[in-house]
Amino acid sequence: MVSDEILRTHLQELRRGTVVVASLVALRHPDYGYALLQRLTAHGFPVDANTLYPLLRRLEEQGLLTSEWNTEESRPRKFYRTSADGEAVLARLLDDLAAVQTSVTGLIEGAKR
Amino acid sequence: MTSLTDRYVAATLRTVPAPRRAEIADELRASIKDMIEGRAAAGQDADAAEREVLTELGHPDRLAARYVDRPLQLIGPAYYLVWQSLLRRLLTVIPAVVGVVVGVLKATVGDEPEAAVGAGIVVAFQTGVQIAFWVTLSFAVLERTRTPLTLPEWSPDQLAEAPVERDVKLSDTCASIAFLLITLAFLPWQHLRSWVSDTDGRGLPLLDPALWTSWLPVLAVVLVLSIGLELVKYRLGGWTWPLVGLNALLNLAFAVPLIWLLATERLLNPDLVDRFEWLREGGLEMVGRVTIVVVVVITVWDVVDSVVKARRHTR
Repeated sequence: MVSDEILRTHLQELRRGTVVVASLVALRHPDYGYALLQRLTAHGFPVDANTLYPLLRRLEEQGLLTSEWNTEESRPRKFYRTSADGEAVLARLLDDLAAVQTSVTGLIEGAKR
Repeated sequence: MTSLTDRYVAATLRTVPAPRRAEIADELRASIKDMIEGRAAAGQDADAAEREVLTELGHPDRLAARYVDRPLQLIGPAYYLVWQSLLRRLLTVIPAVVGVVVGVLKATVGDEPEAAVGAGIVVAFQTGVQIAFWVTLSFAVLERTRTPLTLPEWSPDQLAEAPVERDVKLSDTCASIAFLLITLAFLPWQHLRSWVSDTDGRGLPLLDPALWTSWLPVLAVVLVLSIGLELVKYRLGGWTWPLVGLNALLNLAFAVPLIWLLATERLLNPDLVDRFEWLREGGLEMVGRVTIVVVVVITVWDVVDSVVKARRHTR
């Protein structure tokens, strides 16, 4: 039986890129950092705060997210939203994710025979 | 007294470039407050929640590095191999050359031959440290500026010849045999052409001439057998366990008589000892002791070395 340590690193590797996909999907509805964190966690994408917050800024710099300060509520919060470029990238990422799933399924069925 | 959150935000911003500070500060502060409130809503004490949130966010410098995408390593994988090979090439040649040049200059122009070796070693060491520092610093800067290195891609043509399946190198075998031959030649040479002369100007053998009819032939035979062992070892391509045993036997056959002769003060020519006052006045005993230690160290070293190499070879 492999150690938990090894298993954890492999799972981490597998999950790494999916945080970007999940964020781009979730931010079709504008949201601020902490609320997004909670939504992602609730939908089975547990992510560390110290990973997500810097990631949002990076995606914004890359033009995949737009942001806007909302000052209506008790405290000003920065709301992010997936941009048009973000949608285009997301479409490619989702295609690729589906392609990976298809390939894995194909391999599994091929191995059975 | 500022709050922990204030101190955390300040610590994070410290390493963030000034133009981006204000915005990151506002957002980070808001996020931290959201997180604390989230925990407080779940019934947690506010102070404990703040502590826990900041602990979860981790080291401020690490968080800042993620915000501005700064590397948390001195030299990353993009540059590491180039740095390593460059440093290795520079360090194998330059310190040694500089050290030798300085040593020679010190001995000749400076006319201080006794200080030459020390000066050479010090300068070689300093040169090495300087090279390592400046090369590493340059690569650390490259890593941070993300300067692309336009070096030729690696290709299979750069591969070195595969090492032949032979643990013993020809040069090592030649060196060992040369050393054994010199030792062997020393025995008659010290008898016939000694550089020490007696009061009449005739050469004084270093070793007791009486030993020619007892132990010296034995030592000579052991040396000849050792040459044979080196040749067999080269042919077999490395140490094998029977060779290790034979080597240990030969080592003992050489070291034990030598140590015994030294300990009983029978190795050196008695006439030679009489010729020099300091040998007579306790010097002989000291020479004997030092030589015994050297012989023991060399013998143990040789046997251990053969065992280590045999383990590697037979694995």
